[in-house]
This record gives sequence, structure tokens and C-alpha cells, in this order.
Amino acid sequence: MLARIAHELYWIGRYVARADDTARMLDGLFRASLQTPGGPESSSLPWEAVMAALGATDALPADGPVGADEAVRALTLDAQSPASVTACVERAREGTKRVRDVVSREMWQALNTLYLELDTSDLGSALRTGPYSVYAYVRERCALWWGLADETMLRDQAYAFLYAGRHAEGASMMLRMLRITIVPQLDERPAEGGPAAALLQAIGGLEAFRRSVTGPADAYPVARFLLFEQAYPHSVAAALELLHARLTDADASYRTAAPLLRLARLRAELEFHRGAAQGPEPAEKLAGLLEHVGDELSEADDEIEHRYFEGAAAHAHVVT
Amino acid sequence: MRENLAQIPEQERPARRLVGESSTYEPAEGFVDELFAGPGAPREHADDLISTLDGIGRLSMVDIGRRRDEIFRQQGITFAITGPDGSVRDRPFPLDLVPRIIPAAEWDEIERGLAQRLRALNSFIDDIYHGREIVREGIVPWQLVLGSPQFRRAVHGVRPPGGIYCHVAGCDLVRDADGRWRVLEDNCRTPSGISYVLENRLAMTRLAPELFTGYRVRPVDGYPQLLLSALREVAPAPGRAPTVVVWTPGPANSAYFEHSFLARQMGVELVEASDLVVRDDIVYMRTTAGLARVDAIYRRLDDDFIDPLEFRPDSLLGVPGLIRAYRAGTVALANAVGTGVADDKAVYSFVPEMIRYYLGEEPLLDNVPTYLLGDPEQREHALSRLGELVVKPTNESGGKGVFIGPQATEEELERQKRLVLSAPERWIAQELVRLSTTPTVTPDGSLAPRHVDLRPFAVYGSELRIVPGGLTRVALSEGSMIVNSSRGGGSKDTWVLSDGRPEAVPGSFDPSANLPEMPAIPHSSWTGQEQQQQQARTERRGR
Repeated sequence: MLARIAHELYWIGRYVARADDTARMLDGLFRASLQTPGGPESSSLPWEAVMAALGATDALPADGPVGADEAVRALTLDAQSPASVTACVERAREGTKRVRDVVSREMWQALNTLYLELDTSDLGSALRTGPYSVYAYVRERCALWWGLADETMLRDQAYAFLYAGRHAEGASMMLRMLRITIVPQLDERPAEGGPAAALLQAIGGLEAFRRSVTGPADAYPVARFLLFEQAYPHSVAAALELLHARLTDADASYRTAAPLLRLARLRAELEFHRGAAQGPEPAEKLAGLLEHVGDELSEADDEIEHRYFEGAAAHAHVVT
Repeated sequence: MRENLAQIPEQERPARRLVGESSTYEPAEGFVDELFAGPGAPREHADDLISTLDGIGRLSMVDIGRRRDEIFRQQGITFAITGPDGSVRDRPFPLDLVPRIIPAAEWDEIERGLAQRLRALNSFIDDIYHGREIVREGIVPWQLVLGSPQFRRAVHGVRPPGGIYCHVAGCDLVRDADGRWRVLEDNCRTPSGISYVLENRLAMTRLAPELFTGYRVRPVDGYPQLLLSALREVAPAPGRAPTVVVWTPGPANSAYFEHSFLARQMGVELVEASDLVVRDDIVYMRTTAGLARVDAIYRRLDDDFIDPLEFRPDSLLGVPGLIRAYRAGTVALANAVGTGVADDKAVYSFVPEMIRYYLGEEPLLDNVPTYLLGDPEQREHALSRLGELVVKPTNESGGKGVFIGPQATEEELERQKRLVLSAPERWIAQELVRLSTTPTVTPDGSLAPRHVDLRPFAVYGSELRIVPGGLTRVALSEGSMIVNSSRGGGSKDTWVLSDGRPEAVPGSFDPSANLPEMPAIPHSSWTGQEQQQQQARTERRGR
């Protein structure tokens, strides 16, 4: 298929997943910020860190702390900031417009409705009275999009690249979530209802966690679950596996493809690490692992761009 | 304008706040109000909440209420009520949008008082089924214990692991007109309502997050984990990871929502009687991979029904042989069999004595003054003041059969008197408690005082732990003190505050200091927009 189309689909997958994950993460963090676990010594959430990690550095005020309301607003509505949910949806929709011939009509409608709703309704006031309703809507629409993709798309290269984008984004967002919200909690005394549990609930994984892990949803077991658990589709390990699988589908000579080799090695590394670490580890060790996986993932990302989409980017400048 | 306004006399001045609900709020005469010290004057711990509520305004409250009903209906958090024509209808669980607030210091007292009471009750159950010391000392009459329909001979001499009987317990607390907390009744069998505590909090954070501004509210969602660890601690499974299940009578039970909620939150199986089987005094569940051993059962049905071989032979909900397995010590039941003897309403009046006897301490929480109508002297006194007292059957729950003297007609008084005299030992009489009130949203969105109680939940495993807060039930009609949800009561989110206010973050910050080094968020390098703009330019040029 055309490199340009593949590239477009890959990024549509990424932006839809990013909108969904950002909405879920904000929902969870916002809710966690309302209640105070443990005693007064427990730390409050650094919203600046959340904004920075999601790429909203340009929306950060020059000085002073960022309040929950401010951060939630910037990361949801600010169409100027490329990190906001609205911006992600807009980009995904722009992309879909250009590949209308490849995706089904129903998929386009699902995404377009979301875009129009975000664009026209009074989100500011909805966000003030309760961000939950906004995030619930974004989540529903994204789920509808993926459901329709599953139901209506031919399982060809287009499908493979769309889903490769989804899983690449899933792995990368999960790593960011873990690094911002959970790693800082690792050294704290486990407390009732911390951000780890709220995050799990927001990404819809609390029930899955309960069935898979016995013990409280404290930072360390949650981090392990979200990093290693192959049976949970949104874990980093599972996302890498799925990304690898979709690229294998799309690549005629997958045995020698650099990004695939790297992803396979990364998966193996994670599995080794999981087996080796039985008891709780020091926070630095886990933080180090997360950093390493993050680095490897961006390497793989570059290799994906290079191998499959090389021609596409240059193409943009030739059209006159 | 401003000057003119200042000249208007106080009572004519337009409401300073958007709606000014709080300035016109009047606590009910003769009762303590949880959030207001006097007319229009919020208590210190309610100050922020009340001004936020004023800012939201009456109409928005109605709106939020509508969204709440919608969400609850979607999630299936409903309550079956029987209409006047006998039809059964599901309605959304009535959560009131104004939370009830308990300051940290006050909660500390409640928590200590509850822990003390539950320890004493647990010792009492152990004593009753073993040495009966408290009976021999003449503190609790043996007749009373024997007369309780909840006394279970079948478990005489059985001591569950750790000597814990009441793994899950709750007490109904009320605040009287003198401001003191009193225990209205104990729940040592299967107290329900904890799922509403968790769902209420979740709903409040979603529906009205702005109310939390300025507060440090202690989370409640640790409960399922507390329960699971307690069950694992008492499970007789040396050297194995214990298997815990929740046992429900089935979807027809009115608390089924809670049963499935707890199973889901704990990540354990929700079983019904047909899933369980006893072989050689060991309990198993039927799985796709054959029989799997069960080590601890959190059962949500009464003793009467759990084993047709021991108790009611007509029970279809029971598991034959369960009690044999329990006696053999191969499985833990939570709560243990026979705990109902401790929450008998006649036994209730002896709890302060139990605390003194077993713990050597003075009770921290008061009882409501209670008269045992089986006792001739107390009966005579009570019957002479029947119009001022509340009369309750000793072994009913859910407010069934409760007679409230001050609200009764002459005719009802006479009827109740006859009922008591026909079987005096089945009744108790209590002084009327003047339940405290708290601001509650009325259908038109304004605030009015409504009576509330409080049911905190405790979990007793290797140690006794109490979830901060509990279920606040509220009587939704004016003047009513009946808070039971089966009789038109609602509930409130209950906030226990942490010490201190939210700490202000220092003025300056360095984002890089608390941030791990992360690669920048990647974006699509294929800039379609650019292309479109170029196309547009080209078209213009071509024209």
C-alpha cells in the first residue's frame, strides 16, 4: 500500500488511542486529587509534571503551581496545545478525512460525531460541573471507533497499520502514566485509595487487576501489573506484543525488519525481568527499567518511520 | 449602586449569594444539625462546603440530581420499591448531593468507641458458645440468650481461627439532641450497605467534584481489600494461597447488587448454593476444571438457610454438610455461625456491661436507654409511658414492626399494649432518640434539615479496622425519622476529614525537578494541514 496512506493510518491509530488514554488518565488523576489518602505527609499530585509528561509544556504557566482545574482544562480543551484531547481528536479526524476510501463510513461517522460534539458543545461549563461526563463521552466514542474497525475493516495492511499505531501509542502512554503517577508513589507508605488505584479504575483495569493479583492496589503491584501482565491488553507487555503482531502482518519480510527485531527483544527483556523480580524492588530499579523501555520504544518508533513511511514525510513538500 | 445597596435595611437587601440557600437555612428546633450551628450559620468544618453549594445554586442542584439518576440507572444501582398498587418498580438509589462531614477528632472518638464495642461483642459470642462466664457471673440472664432465635446450639464449642466471629460488623449510630453519639443497634450478622458507601463516593467525585474544594476527605475504597485480607487471614489453609468466595442467595435477593459488587471488587468468585459441595468435610466449588477447594466463605445469608442438615431442612439455598465441615475446621465462615445472638435487641441493653466485664473499660459510646419488656418492673414502667417511647420487636430488622409512641393514635397505643402483653419478652422499649439533622436537597433544589443516622463498617481479621465514615442514611420526608431505604430513606456521602487543610504548594516550582526525563511526545510528521493550505493557495493562484 502507499507509504503515505500507511503513515496516515498509523497516526490515526495513535491519535485516537492518545485521546482515549489522555481522557482516562485525567479522569483518574482528577478523581484521586479530590480525596486525600493517608496522613498530611502524603504528597499531592504534581499537575505540572502531568502536563509536561503529556507534552503540554507550552500551556504551562511561567511560574506558580498548576491547579487541577487548570490542568484538566488545558489537557482537555486547549485546541492550541497539541497534547489536549480535543487536539488529538481533531488530528485523527483530519487524518481520517484523507483516507476516507480506506476506513469504513461508519468509522468516519463515529469519529466525526466526536469531533463535532467537542467542537460545538459548551465543554467549558461541562468540564466545570464535572469532567467525568466529558471523559465518559470521549471514551465511549473511541470504543465505538475501535469496535467498528473490528467489525467493518478488511484485515489487510490498512488494518495492520491502524492497529500498530494504536498499540504503539498504548505502550508509550502507559509508560508515561507509570512514570508520572506511580513511580513517585513507590517509596511512600502504602495508603488507602492512592493514585494507583484511581488510575487503574480510570483505565478500566481495576476489575482485571483484582482478578489477577491478590493484594491491595498499591503502587508496586499496580506498576508490575501494568508493565508485565500479558493477559491484560493495556499493559506495556501486551501492547508491545500486539504492536509486533500487527507489524508482522504488514511486513512482507518481517524476519529481518529492524523495528520487529527490537520489539521482540524488548518483549523478551520484560519477560526476563518479570521472572527475576519476585519481591518488591527499589523504586530506582523500576524507574530505570521504565526509562529503558521508553528509550527502546522511541528507537523502535524511529525505525518504524524509517522502514515503512520514509517516502511519506518528504512527499508533503513536493505537492504544489 | 453600591452605596444605595448599603443603605437598604438588612432584611430587605437582596440575597448576597447567588441563591443564598445557606442564609435562609434553619436547623430544626430541638435537634442538633450536623452542618449548621444556628440559622444561616454553618459550622466551621462546613463553611467551604456551604459556600460552594451557594455558588452552585438551586437550579443547578436539580440538574445535577437529574444526571445522578441517569448515571445510577445506567449503572443499575437501583432499589426495588413497591408502589401503593403493589407493583414493583426500580428507582435509582437515592443519593443526596449534600455530603455529611465528620471532623477528624470526632471520628477518632467514634472509631475508638466502635472498636471497643465490637471487641466486647466478639468476646461475648465466644463466651456464650464456650464457658458462659458472663452468665455464671449473673451479668446476662441465660434465659435471654436461650430465648434468642439466633442462638445456635449446633456450634457450641466451635472456635473459629483467631477466635474471631464477627469478621464484618456495623453499628447504627445516631446523634441525640445533647450532641452525644449513641448506638442504636448492632449488626453482627450480615450488615449491608457498604457498596453504597463506595458507589456514593464515586458518584460524588463525578457529579459534584467542586464540593471537595478545600477539604481533605479520607478515601473509602480500601474496604474490599480490607475484607479480602481479613478473609485470607482467617482461612484455614496452611501453606496454600487461600481461596475466598462470596456466597449469595441469588439475584432475587435485595442486596444482590452488593454481593456482586464485593465479589468483583475483591476479584473472587460469587457463588450460589448449587456451586458448592461438601465432600469428606471439605468444601469445594464446581469449576470447569473440576472441584476446587474453598477455604473461606463470605456468606450473605442467614444461619437458618446455610445447611439444611443442621438448620431449616426446607432451605433450598443451603449446602448440605457445610456445618460439619465448619466444625471440622476446614473452612472459615464469615461471619461465624451463631453471631446473631449478639445483635439481639434484648442483648443490646447488656453491651455496656459486657465492655466492663470483658475489657475492664468504661464504654466510650452510649446506649439508648432501653427497657426489657420481659422484666415485670421495666414493663410496668414502660407501659405507663408508652406514648413517649419507641417499641421494637427483638428480632426483626429493616425497621419492621417498630412502634413510635409519640406518633401513634390512641387506638394504635392500645393495640401495641396488647401485642406487648401477649409476648412481652419479644419486645423492647427505648427512649425516643432525637436524631440529628443535616441539610438535604429537596425536590426543588433548596436545602432543608432532614434526620440522619450513621452506619460505620468494621472488618475484623488479624486486627480490627474501620472504614472512615460509613453509610449515612437520611429520611427524605420532613420530620420523619425513618431512614431505612426500604421505606423511602436515602443516603449521603459521608466525609471523614484528615487532620489539617490541603497544604498550599510552594509558590515557585521547577517542572524539571519532579519530572523524570522523558522523550518528547511524538507527532505525525506528515503535515496534512500544510498540504491542504498549499492546495488552497494553488487553487487560488489558478483562478
